[in-house]
Amino acid sequence: MDKTLVQELKEEIIEVLNLEEMKPEDIDASAPLFGEGLGLDSIDALELIVLMEKNYGIKLKNASEGKEIFRSIEIMADYISKNRTK
Amino acid sequence: MSIYIEKIAQISIQSPLSDEWMRDPIYPTQRHCRFICPDFKQFLSPATSRRMGTLLKCALTSAFNCVKEENRTQLDGIFTGSGLGCIENTEKFLTSMLENNEQSLSPTNFIQSTHNTIGSQIAIAFQCHGYNITFSHRGLSFDSALMNALLKFKLNEIHSALVNASDEMSDAYFKLFDHTGYWKKSICTTDDFKHAISSGSFAGENSVSFLLTDKKAEHTLCEIGDIELFHTPSDKELIDRTTRFLSSYQLTLNDIDTVVLGHNGDVENDEEYNRISNLLVPHARKVIYKHIFGESFTMSAMGVYVGATCINQQHIPSHLLLQEGSTGHHKPTNILVVNHFKKIDYSITLLRSC
Repeated sequence: MDKTLVQELKEEIIEVLNLEEMKPEDIDASAPLFGEGLGLDSIDALELIVLMEKNYGIKLKNASEGKEIFRSIEIMADYISKNRTK
Repeated sequence: MSIYIEKIAQISIQSPLSDEWMRDPIYPTQRHCRFICPDFKQFLSPATSRRMGTLLKCALTSAFNCVKEENRTQLDGIFTGSGLGCIENTEKFLTSMLENNEQSLSPTNFIQSTHNTIGSQIAIAFQCHGYNITFSHRGLSFDSALMNALLKFKLNEIHSALVNASDEMSDAYFKLFDHTGYWKKSICTTDDFKHAISSGSFAGENSVSFLLTDKKAEHTLCEIGDIELFHTPSDKELIDRTTRFLSSYQLTLNDIDTVVLGHNGDVENDEEYNRISNLLVPHARKVIYKHIFGESFTMSAMGVYVGATCINQQHIPSHLLLQEGSTGHHKPTNILVVNHFKKIDYSITLLRSC
């Protein structure tokens, strides 16, 4: 697992989702992003899709992909490292 | 039917959520004054506020401070006035569209870019499913919202209402207005408001919430009689309609002891306030407030707040008086709050002690 990418993602998620109270070390990279864990919602999912496209050049072809990719930061980092175009 | 102002909570360029400006006002030190924010964490959970811009946080905090938790779901209506809405979010959203070639747009700024976001977010936070409406009518945005609320009371359709007036002034909008001469080129002094000789004002920001009910309670601030809106009225129409609405409260123009005016330092604007007040109530004390709150599309709400506070505290501080030494010994009892926007749209609101 790319630890630098995981750290980068944590910082980007905190900034994009305005998780003002959180620091990167507060986020468990293997914990679920939605429901439990960070407790994100559907608007956050849209923000994550925008983040992937803007920062890594990844355009999700269908929304159901997101459900799998956004299971945790670790899974997200893995997907990004395999599919990034920038 | 009598309608009362039960509570008011404000966040502006004065100390937030307090009437400190009555004793110790903060005078402008810039041409563009921004909100003095309270510690939002005391009122809003991080989960609630993390997507909100400053204006929304201010609006929710003023609403929370106005309505007790146990009464929030029972509110019959939420009436919002905002000239510019969540303009900072609108600008972020539009800037993002430009920078990203209309691709990869952040949904949060878009969702919060509309005028009616304020009223809807208050309703969501209150879990209030009552009437909900937003007015964006330039300088009469708050006045229109207030009129709608009062009409609903008179139709017996509501018994409680939250009326909110919120406006922020973004840097970009400030600059745009600056090009049109809307702001003074130097920092305003109080003298600019009492004896205006040049054009322009200074920018303020405001979010003020009023809780209105049709029942008088122990801590009721004052009665709010009525509001009349006018569009390019003649002097005769102003006098006739004001006289008529006062008569429904068994009052005449002579019974008005105080008039609250929106002098903003702009010579043309202030001359019109002087003209109207001399036309309607030449004998009344003249109170001004924009020299400490600044100018915005919904700043007339602060005029109603100032009038209601003076009635409630039975005192008009000298720094609010247009003419030095005009305070007299009479306590404020019947107040008219006069608002005009560019000498086109006008409103007159009656406040009474109760």
